[in-house]
Amino acid sequence: KEIGGDKNGGSRIVPTQRESRYYPTEDVRRRLANRKKPGMAKLRSSITPGTVLILLAGAHRGKRVVFLRQLNSGLLLVTGPYKINGVPLRRIPQCYAIATSTHIDVSDVTIPEQCIINEAYFKGEPKKKKRSEDMFEETQDDKKPREQRIKDQKTVDDQILPKISGVSHLKKYLSSLFSLRKG
Amino acid sequence: AISLARIGSSGINAEYGEVGRLCYIRLGDNAGKTCVIVDLVDQKRLLVDGPHCGLARQVIRLKNLAITDLKVKIARGCKTNVVRAAVTKEDIANKFLQTSLSKKAESKKAKAALGDFDRFKLRVAKTAHNRKIRSAVRKLKKSS
Repeated sequence: KEIGGDKNGGSRIVPTQRESRYYPTEDVRRRLANRKKPGMAKLRSSITPGTVLILLAGAHRGKRVVFLRQLNSGLLLVTGPYKINGVPLRRIPQCYAIATSTHIDVSDVTIPEQCIINEAYFKGEPKKKKRSEDMFEETQDDKKPREQRIKDQKTVDDQILPKISGVSHLKKYLSSLFSLRKG
Repeated sequence: AISLARIGSSGINAEYGEVGRLCYIRLGDNAGKTCVIVDLVDQKRLLVDGPHCGLARQVIRLKNLAITDLKVKIARGCKTNVVRAAVTKEDIANKFLQTSLSKKAESKKAKAALGDFDRFKLRVAKTAHNRKIRSAVRKLKKSS
């Protein structure tokens, strides 16, 4: 580091990272490093590709969706299909789904690679924090899905929809909500 | 035959818990099986045998049974092979399958085994059915 001033010797060695001004009076105990990493959650035997699941939480609670595959993070990739019940290609945790005994054959359905490999595909846009001046201004949030997502949704749903229309009442079933009833 | 306590519906057509009467087991581990009354123990218990159902000879409480109107001709306290022979001779197992009790039990079992989709289809069918009835009733009301 260069130092100004005549008599200060031109340059001096200065630490690039300064120690903080504060340090505690007693030594703080260091926590042991946690090296555990969550593995891929074990998929319940009742959930296989093509199973109709009932979503229990979130915006789409009560909706019946088609299970596609388990992602590497352990989350389940499902689709409504979007046209039937408004559920897009979405990730859901296994614990928030009930598996029904209804199956659709999705063995020949190809899912776009980005959905499977890249988890960031599903991450939402970070919310912009409003500054204090803008707090009382009503901003129009145009929440439109990305073009890529619309395209991929169509690719997957176009493969699944004909299989659903092949089974009587299945379309109506998927568009209805699950609820607890008497008896 | 020695008459036992009346366990059927009261009235003229009351069924009696007699030796040889076929009973349907409603409750317990052996629920769903049929058995023949072989002897009585006391006011509340019977000795039954169901070789045609794989039911061992045992004492069973009256409250766990539903008696049917089918009867087999056997002597009181006879052995299991005699019961078996009498049951096969009169083909009581098949006769029981035609009774309404048996059919109701079957439909109850089937209903319990329905999946979520099946229950949905049942509901759709029921509403359609009821709608038809109601519209027909409304038409009749209007015309009268």
